[in-house]
Amino acid sequence: MTMRITTRITILLFLIAGAAAAQVPVAPSPDPAGERTGENVSNYNIVDSFETGYRYSAVGGNDSQYRSSVNYGNGIRLLGSSLLVTSKNGHGLLFDQITLSTQGLGNDPYESVVLRVEKNRIYRYDMSWRQNDYFNPGLVTGGGDGQHLLDTQNRMQDHNLTLFPQSKLKFFLGFSNSSQTGPSYSSIQQFDPNGNIFPLFSNVRRVWREYRLGNEFQVFGIRVNWMHGWEDFKDDTGATLATAGVPGAIPIAQPPGVSLNSFQANDPTHGTNPFWRAAIFADRKFFHMNGRFTYSGGQHAFVVDESAQGVASSLSRIQNVVTLGDAERPVATGNLNLNFTPTSKLTIANSTSVYNVRTLGNSFFSEFDSATQTTSVLFYNYLGIRTVANDTNLNYQVSPLWGFMAGYHYSDRLITSQQQFTFAGATSGNLAEQSNQLQSGQTGVRFTPWKPLSVLLSAEVGTNSHPFTPTADGNFHDLNARIQYRAKTFQISASAGANYNANSASLTSYGSQSRTYSVSGHWTPHGSFTLDAGFNRAHTYTIGGIAYFLNQQFLQDQSSIYLSNINSIYAGVRYEIRKRIDLYAGYTRVQDLGDGRASADAGIGSAPPLFQGVQTFPIAFQSPMARVSVKINNRLRRNAGYQYYGYRSDFASLLGYRANTGYTSLSVSF
Amino acid sequence: MSFAVRSALLVTIFCAGAFVARAQEKPPNHFVSNDACKTCHPIAWNTFYRNAHFKSVASGKETPENTGCQGCHGPGGNHVDNHGGKSTIVAFSELPAERIVAACLRCHSQKLSRANIRSSQHTLNGMACTSCHSIHRAQSDRALLSKPQTALCEGCHTDVRVQFAMPFKHRVEEGAMSCTDCHNPHGTFAPTWGMASRPRHVDQAMANEEACLNCHADKRGPFIFEHLGARVDGCETCHTPHGSTNSRLLLRPVVFTLCLECHNGAGNFGRLGSGIAAQTQSHNMADPRYQNCTACHVRIHGSNASSTFAR
Repeated sequence: MTMRITTRITILLFLIAGAAAAQVPVAPSPDPAGERTGENVSNYNIVDSFETGYRYSAVGGNDSQYRSSVNYGNGIRLLGSSLLVTSKNGHGLLFDQITLSTQGLGNDPYESVVLRVEKNRIYRYDMSWRQNDYFNPGLVTGGGDGQHLLDTQNRMQDHNLTLFPQSKLKFFLGFSNSSQTGPSYSSIQQFDPNGNIFPLFSNVRRVWREYRLGNEFQVFGIRVNWMHGWEDFKDDTGATLATAGVPGAIPIAQPPGVSLNSFQANDPTHGTNPFWRAAIFADRKFFHMNGRFTYSGGQHAFVVDESAQGVASSLSRIQNVVTLGDAERPVATGNLNLNFTPTSKLTIANSTSVYNVRTLGNSFFSEFDSATQTTSVLFYNYLGIRTVANDTNLNYQVSPLWGFMAGYHYSDRLITSQQQFTFAGATSGNLAEQSNQLQSGQTGVRFTPWKPLSVLLSAEVGTNSHPFTPTADGNFHDLNARIQYRAKTFQISASAGANYNANSASLTSYGSQSRTYSVSGHWTPHGSFTLDAGFNRAHTYTIGGIAYFLNQQFLQDQSSIYLSNINSIYAGVRYEIRKRIDLYAGYTRVQDLGDGRASADAGIGSAPPLFQGVQTFPIAFQSPMARVSVKINNRLRRNAGYQYYGYRSDFASLLGYRANTGYTSLSVSF
Repeated sequence: MSFAVRSALLVTIFCAGAFVARAQEKPPNHFVSNDACKTCHPIAWNTFYRNAHFKSVASGKETPENTGCQGCHGPGGNHVDNHGGKSTIVAFSELPAERIVAACLRCHSQKLSRANIRSSQHTLNGMACTSCHSIHRAQSDRALLSKPQTALCEGCHTDVRVQFAMPFKHRVEEGAMSCTDCHNPHGTFAPTWGMASRPRHVDQAMANEEACLNCHADKRGPFIFEHLGARVDGCETCHTPHGSTNSRLLLRPVVFTLCLECHNGAGNFGRLGSGIAAQTQSHNMADPRYQNCTACHVRIHGSNASSTFAR
């Protein structure tokens, strides 16, 4: 008996020490205080719960990196709440159901409110509101810190009202409002293309608003759905010199005598994007079809007013730049999807899509430079993309034991572009047109030899006649396999996938291969115990030809190699003691082993150390956590939790951080 | 006995046998009152008023085959007469996937967001509605999902689950967004970027734009100078959407390798088909300032004033 208890405790400790669920934050607590029976008030049943408490964090190491990837702070929060009000007979006076859920309200970096209010057959109103704190410390590159820092707040809200949601005649009204505000830090290069780089301070002010109006009705058994929307966009972000006279941190070998004493830029951009969407769809016993047409006509008008004053080559310089113009992008799409189901076991699906976009506009650029005199340039740009694609799939369930699918995809893309410059009365430009075709075949087979067990195998092979970029799909194939055993208390699945892509050109070739293997399991032997664990390995290897200048010498016979081997593990165990105390422990670890090298300077191939040192970027990110939740009574629950975040970059040790976070809270529910 | 008599006798016996067999067939199934269902299934019924399917019951206007328990499970007469049993009623746990899909779509095809469900990858791979939705044991008040949405999707897409555990990721686990902000699990129209082939199940923003622009609208433009790689092939030319070990969800840990893999001048690619412009001689990669491409090319997603995205 003692042995059995010891064994149990050992297993439990092992699980707690070694594992936990995914990267889900430790708070809010997922456990309700009691049963969701609710309170009956008049004709309504009300189920409510909320959790409020204090969240803390203590960060060591690179605080900016922590704010970039985790960002939880200190303070009191309404960690989470949910409310469900339901009329018991479906005939409420003003509403039949209200569903409200919130998360992180108070001061968490990720706050949200989701609300639905509906009255059967009359209306349904959906609202979502989100506020995210976004912090980015800037790109980290071989030369030091980048200068695109952002410390902004993004707010998004959507309102959708559907009138007569259960009828054949519906009306849709919608409104969305999004904004991004806050300080940012950018850079500008002055006074010529080889000049110095100076830091700029900006106050980001961007606002989007969208209004929608639509309707759905039925004619001869075919549903017709249309929507018209108007989107307005404003970006009034300006920029000023962050520190007068001081170049940014990047230029190490700065030209002597270069300074920027003042800089001011205003570049408001205002635009609108009206759009139409019309769709028809019908579902019959043997035949299903839908078609869609969309059109959007985005327009932007802009002005850039920029003035700089400084010194270059020991001469005083003044530079004023004024740019104004407008840009348009009309986009039209059409889709027609046909499905035939001659028997319940066979589905044949065909879809055709057409996509046409044109981007055009002009920009008048005027520059006064005390060194180069006045210049005026008119840029005129055009980009047209037309894509026609067709996809046919066949899906057949041969028997309960097995079935298969097969498909063929063909697409044809035509890209037309022109860049034209009018400079001092002379016009130059070039018109280009190119087309490419993609063909791919897809097949898959699925087996269900036993009801809880399913096996899926699939493959896709394709070729693109003229990829637009060296890294795009050229000659590619995908192979995937998945096996899953799913019973009431136990689920385990394993999958493997491989993707290969080769893209060759006259001077260079690009190849990539990625392989992913994963296994995961979920075990709930009874209501008081849950074990959840998984492992994933993702291997990526790419090689691409590069060409660049090194000390005035043009090098074009080298390759850029990127190699990543990411092992991820997650596991979580939950144990409930006497339906009163809920324990949870978890662990997540992501580690990129790179190619196994110990330092950055021992790379693959003949490229200089600059390129060898970035062929791989080993990191480790881990997050153990533990939570205890004690039920005080059917309405109250006391919670406390701890979560550690640790980030380590092997080749950039200054980026690492260690964060101890936690919370304590009270859950109330009825 | 003559052949004719024997034949007549055989026919008579056959007809009599058929008559007897028909007489012994079960009576045709019939609908019963919902009260009969709740007698044995009180737990399912007592909280059913919270279920979205209760709307049709509450209306009182629907015929039995379109509402209540029998709207999905078929006539319950035989089930009641036989005191239960899965063989006497439509039990979804016993149905093959294609029949479950057909049963649900009898009502739920009436929504544009589900118009492509029959050709979606989920359906083609043998998934049924009940693989994600649980009518009587839902863990979410909306959409009757069998688990919270993120956990549900990650249950199968374990490779994506670990991407959301990476140091740089979209904040799905934190609750700031959900899978359906970008994806439609019921199938979508063909992508309006790339070659209109992949990715699948990614919904479109603002009627026909890439889903990323729903939130990152400042990258949308239109710009006089578009970064063609992004406009032609989509955001995933440089970014990976779920999570990454690289900052800003970039495909490479340092920006200059990302840029140089395309900007190498190799023939056949780019706007003119003669290669995407390699860097000019003024760039010296030995100088750290040129290793930070976006320190000068600040408007890398598109610019109205500079063809090199410098302002």
